[in-house]
Amino acid sequence: MAVCVAVIAKENYPLYIRSVPSQSELKFHYTVHTSLDVVEEKISTAGKAMAEQRELYLGLLYPTEDYKVYGYVTNSKVKFVIVVDSSNTSLRDNEIRSMFRKLHNSFTDVMCNPFYNPGDPIQSRAFDSMVSAMMVQSS
Amino acid sequence: MLIGHLRDPNNQVVVVKGLRISVTGVNTRSPNSGEVRKLLSQAVSGCQPPEGLPANVITAGDYDLNISDRSVKASVPWYSDWKEMLTQLSSSKYYTATTPWFEAYRENFLQSMPASDHEFLNHYLACMLVVSSREAVPTEQFLKLSQEQHRIQHSGEYTYPKWFIPNTLKYYVLLHDISDGDEQRADSVYEDMKQRYGTQGCYLLKINSRTGAAGPDEQMPDPWSQYLQKTNIHSPYEEGVLNNVENNISSEVDGLDLSDVVSEIHPLKLEQSADPGFPGNPSKAVNSADTARTQKQGSVTPGAAPTAHGACLTLNDHDRIRQFIQEFTFRGLLPHIEKNIRQLNDQLVSRKGLSRSLFSATKKWFGGGKVPEKSIAELKNTAGLLYPPEAPELQIRKMADLCFLVQHYELAYSCYHTAKKDFLSDQAMLYAAGSLEMAAVSAFLQSGAPRPYPAHYMETAIQTYRDVCKNMVLAERCALLSAEVLKSQAKYSDAATLLIKMTSEDSDLRSALLLEQAAHCFINMRSPMVRKFAFHMILSGHRYSKAGQKRHALRCYCQAMQVYKGKGWTLAEDHINFTIGRQSFTLRQPENAVAAFRHILINDSKQTATQQSAFLREYLYVYKSLSQPSNEGSLPQLPLPCVHSAQTRVFFGHEPRLAEGEKQAATHVWLDQEFDQEQAQLWAELEEQVVAVANRGSVHISFQPTQYCLSSHTENLRYPFAVVEEPMFVEVVFRNPLKVPLVLSDLSLLWKFTTKDFSKPQGGTTGETITNEKEAAAGKATALNDIISTEVIPEFTVGLEETKVARLKLLPHKTGELHVLGIVYNLGTREEDNSASEASQLMFVRGRQDLEIQGPRLNVTKEEKTSVRHGPDRRLDPIITPPMPLLEVFFINFPTGLLCGEIRKAWVEFVNVSAVPLAGLRVASTHPEFFTFGSATADLTPVTPTAAEHCSAYKTMVTPPSDAAVTLVSPAAFGITGDNRPTVVEIPLTGGVLGPGEALQIPLWLRGPDREGVHEISFLFYYEGLEKNAKLGHRVLRHKAVICASRSLSVRATACRSNTLPGRGKRDEREEERSGSMLVFVDVENINTSEAGVREFHIVQVSSSSRQWRLHKCINPAGDKDSKLASRERGKLCFRATRCRTQEATSDALEKYTFADLNLGNEQIVSSTTPCADFFFRRGPPSEPRKGGVITVGGLLRRQSLTPANSTDDSMTSIVRKCSEVELDIIVLWKAYVVEDNKQLILEGQLHVALQTIGKEACSLSQKEEAQEMVLLKFKPDLPPPASRPSLEQLSHLIKTCLHYPESYDHPFPQKSLCMVPVTLTLSNCSLAQVDVIIDLRHKTTSPESLEVHGSFTWLGQTQYKLQLRPQEVHGLSLKACFFQAGVYNLGTPRVFAKLAQSGTMCETSQQSAMPALIIINSV
Repeated sequence: MAVCVAVIAKENYPLYIRSVPSQSELKFHYTVHTSLDVVEEKISTAGKAMAEQRELYLGLLYPTEDYKVYGYVTNSKVKFVIVVDSSNTSLRDNEIRSMFRKLHNSFTDVMCNPFYNPGDPIQSRAFDSMVSAMMVQSS
Repeated sequence: MLIGHLRDPNNQVVVVKGLRISVTGVNTRSPNSGEVRKLLSQAVSGCQPPEGLPANVITAGDYDLNISDRSVKASVPWYSDWKEMLTQLSSSKYYTATTPWFEAYRENFLQSMPASDHEFLNHYLACMLVVSSREAVPTEQFLKLSQEQHRIQHSGEYTYPKWFIPNTLKYYVLLHDISDGDEQRADSVYEDMKQRYGTQGCYLLKINSRTGAAGPDEQMPDPWSQYLQKTNIHSPYEEGVLNNVENNISSEVDGLDLSDVVSEIHPLKLEQSADPGFPGNPSKAVNSADTARTQKQGSVTPGAAPTAHGACLTLNDHDRIRQFIQEFTFRGLLPHIEKNIRQLNDQLVSRKGLSRSLFSATKKWFGGGKVPEKSIAELKNTAGLLYPPEAPELQIRKMADLCFLVQHYELAYSCYHTAKKDFLSDQAMLYAAGSLEMAAVSAFLQSGAPRPYPAHYMETAIQTYRDVCKNMVLAERCALLSAEVLKSQAKYSDAATLLIKMTSEDSDLRSALLLEQAAHCFINMRSPMVRKFAFHMILSGHRYSKAGQKRHALRCYCQAMQVYKGKGWTLAEDHINFTIGRQSFTLRQPENAVAAFRHILINDSKQTATQQSAFLREYLYVYKSLSQPSNEGSLPQLPLPCVHSAQTRVFFGHEPRLAEGEKQAATHVWLDQEFDQEQAQLWAELEEQVVAVANRGSVHISFQPTQYCLSSHTENLRYPFAVVEEPMFVEVVFRNPLKVPLVLSDLSLLWKFTTKDFSKPQGGTTGETITNEKEAAAGKATALNDIISTEVIPEFTVGLEETKVARLKLLPHKTGELHVLGIVYNLGTREEDNSASEASQLMFVRGRQDLEIQGPRLNVTKEEKTSVRHGPDRRLDPIITPPMPLLEVFFINFPTGLLCGEIRKAWVEFVNVSAVPLAGLRVASTHPEFFTFGSATADLTPVTPTAAEHCSAYKTMVTPPSDAAVTLVSPAAFGITGDNRPTVVEIPLTGGVLGPGEALQIPLWLRGPDREGVHEISFLFYYEGLEKNAKLGHRVLRHKAVICASRSLSVRATACRSNTLPGRGKRDEREEERSGSMLVFVDVENINTSEAGVREFHIVQVSSSSRQWRLHKCINPAGDKDSKLASRERGKLCFRATRCRTQEATSDALEKYTFADLNLGNEQIVSSTTPCADFFFRRGPPSEPRKGGVITVGGLLRRQSLTPANSTDDSMTSIVRKCSEVELDIIVLWKAYVVEDNKQLILEGQLHVALQTIGKEACSLSQKEEAQEMVLLKFKPDLPPPASRPSLEQLSHLIKTCLHYPESYDHPFPQKSLCMVPVTLTLSNCSLAQVDVIIDLRHKTTSPESLEVHGSFTWLGQTQYKLQLRPQEVHGLSLKACFFQAGVYNLGTPRVFAKLAQSGTMCETSQQSAMPALIIINSV
């Protein structure tokens, strides 16, 4: 489904980025990085109104020619970004939501690992396989 | 500022300000698209960000962006039809995000727009006809020109230039050169002109055009310099008319604030042109210009020197030109425009009444249900619709344009609006889009803004231009305008979207510029979108580089870099850095390129290995090309490999030697040894001890343990000392972060050295400072080897992602202060293929890296605690001191494994390898009991080690086994003073000095440690020079030996009080008996586990050593002489010990030890000499367990018992204890027969047992500490035991009893039924106090053992005796026993009770009963 999944720390550096066609990795890095501007904008506008009831799912951040970028922010300001191929029209908003939820759950598991040092790049195999399951389905 | 006035059709006065007029030659043609491209590209590349301007910092979130190229926008003169709008924009309160090159581009772009049919904005309004006053008949010329103009405009032969209004304003100008003309004639001609054309239609311009107006010194500003560049594109066409054009331009320049609208000057009489499109065919123009040229020879020659433009004009001329333009504008142009507006308005109004309604009505009838607004798809069909030039629909548009030009925006807007409706209803899309665009612009420019800005007009216009008309140029123009408007309204987001939409594949330059502008919009948003800015900057940079604008591309990437830098987006960062590197390199900025590449390499990049090697190669290539031209000067800093400065270690001294055969060098210190805090502490303590001994007990306050190896663990606050002519090693830790191996070649150290002569007083003289930086840079690292030899490592490879250390050697040859600065090397990479080996050889660069070590953080004062300060670290700044002695120690035959207690003789060799004599040699050790160099008394005959190989370590004498041989020895002879075991031993040197190069070999005895296992034994050799060195007082050498001890024998010994009676045997024996004797049982067990191949042990000799006792005799049962012990066998030996006779002899004898040897074989080992006695005196403290909680409690108790409160009890206790105390050490000497490699070896050894108390077993092995029980922690102090009285057991030893009686007694029972036998009971007081004794002779009836059937006898006489015995008194008590029949009786029934005389309270204690005393009564 997804072509790129990224987890970005509160301080906006990447904790985890994985993309499917690995030759265009650089492009996805740029895309994800640029999308952070929109994420921040969305947080700052929506966040003030109802900080507690803010929905974690941010929806479509912006569409580019080939991709759609979706965002999700945890309460600890860790950002998840999923990039989806624009041609994949079958994908509903709900599915994206459930992908993010899965991602969040898996991320929570990573954080619960006592040997994981928060702020380090994620190297968990479980997380990795979960992400690849998300991506493999598309191809 | 001049302000013009104008009346609109409603007679309202309209103020026109800030007008500019643009003057061009009539035959000027718009350049074609290729030329436009080239021109735009030139304009952009010619406009670069200014250097060295103060940085313009934008803070956005956590980003501080440094955008230096955002200079103020209006600085470039604005030169087109759109200038008014933009002058207003420049005064807008919003900051328009723009850049100079973008403005230059826009200006040129707008200027190069061709005049089109659907709008009139670029059309000519007026025509200036210029004739020189030198013309023969100027009026005729005017007439000709006028006709020519008319022909051009109306003949229809030319599509260009386009004219605004059919009857173009003609303005007649007579040009007169003051310096060279007949002024009167000019005046008269002018009068004539005035009459013919009216005063408002002509002008006489007098200027100087022939000779330089200013002197050579005077600098006149070039009035056209700003504009000429812009007109360059026209130059091919205007060559012929240049003079006029120039002058006209000048007027425009000078009258900056003046005027209006496009005016056309057409000075030339043009011939019929072959080219119908253009009036001015260049070739013809030249021909036809001949006359003009001859007319105006005084004018500046065109094209000769662009800088000289207008040089002939004086300041007066400038004024005149300015005046001329004013005149032209106010008298000629504005009234002309006003008139035209009125005319057009009248036309329109007259038409409005009927045609308006009629028009729309017919439309409705004929058009059916057509809606005026059509969908784009339908409109396409009509996009090509063209109106004839005089079409009524165009008239309104014409009027709108005129109003717009004179800044009457309100009227312009309404006209545009009307025109838009008309065009739309006609589906003339191009015309409609143009009107929409201009309507939006005039709405925007309207001051006061009665209506909101119609943004959708612009959108529709852009869409129409692009999609319907396929006219990208117009679309672009519209978008540029729209973006400016949006920006001025702070709608940056919309502006950015618009700009990004306009990017396309067809023009890289345009896309790049637009993307950059979009990026600037992002950053100017209320909440700046930094990342979008960065991303679009990168896109823009990419397009710039495609468009060949390398400098701009580089700048874009650099700006984007600010956002990506250090945020963890390494992939993007690397990409940007790589691009920056490449661009910088192509732009010949190798420094920047190197810096960028350096970044890629330093970071822990996630790139693949091939990518990394590509990066590295590129870096090396760039670097090489950079460093080649500037070979001299300081070396550049290399980024690779990473150097961990803090982990740098420094070692002073030689490399360790390997063991040569049996000779084994002292381990000392070397870089291979890991730093161990405990070990370091241990060595420091040892050194302190030995220094204390060497300085007679005192240690200087500033004492610092010698450190040979400095690392991050050691304290490096002081400058370390290195000795001249001794090497030092610097260990540098390299880490290769790449997945590509790195090859360092010609690796050596960089240093700085200041020579100093320390031998002179006052710190010596300081010489000059020398450094090898230059030599190293040139690759001649060894050039200064006469001062300091620098070792060069030819090749050093650091594998992929490897951390590796390099050891670099320096050998100073002079004294002084040395500073190690860094390392210098060639950095290269290894090519995989061997074919390119030559190329790879070239692929390296020389550079350096500095070693800078930060000291530990200071944390002493408050200031230091509150701030972060670091102390110095001087490990790389050694002071080279004058020569010092250097000792090397070798051990010969030094064993690695020993049996416990085994004695081995080894040799030690001391060599002074320096050129300076050595003295004061001492050794300190953690295990002083392990070794001895022999006592001072021992003869140190230097026997060679080989000769002594098979001899016994002991000194022996042949003596048959007999009574003990006794020797008296003072411990002082063995270097023992007091109770302390010495840890420091002085090593005797002949003459106290070991000369340079001399070697000394002395024997060394070793004794296996008592405990089995592996023992680490540390030796610290201390020595000093003969003359005191101010810098370095002493030196030390360390050695660590590892000994594996295996089990041998276990010896247990017990002492018993002997019960033998005095009065028997010889006299002297009796004497001995009187002073006391003991039985000593020695129990020897072979506990060897035979792994070492030990076959059997022989007990060779048992010796004793004590101040009071000595072994006297072996009283083993005869025939048991063979004391062989096979594995696990156990033997028991029994000895009698007596008190030494010499006990009371002299006082100093008290301190002397009596050694008594009892040999079991035929050889007596003299135990009182080396090494036996040495080891005896060096033995560990008595086998009292040293550690453990239980013992601590015991110690506590004892201490409590010594408190004065129970002093009586104490004295009593001590008395009591004393009587059971012995102080006797047993030395068991043994031989072990070992089979090793089919060879039988005899090992010798000795074990010590210290007997302390009678009846208590002592053991040679300190008992294996039983798994120590957990001692409960007690938080309350233990209650002292109720009475610290001596135990019953101790008290029972007060009195020794002995019965003397005949062993058998014959008695004739038949004759005499009662047999009476005399028995003497000898009582001996063992204690040193008076003792009350009670002897009870009554049979114990209660005891079951006394109920013998026939064993009963009776004591006669008193049944109880009370006696008092003086200290050590022996008292005999005569008793009589009475027997009734023959038999064997046990006489040992008397019970003896004793108590100390002083202690009244204490009840008597039953004394230890004597052994059974059997008597045989025979009946005769």
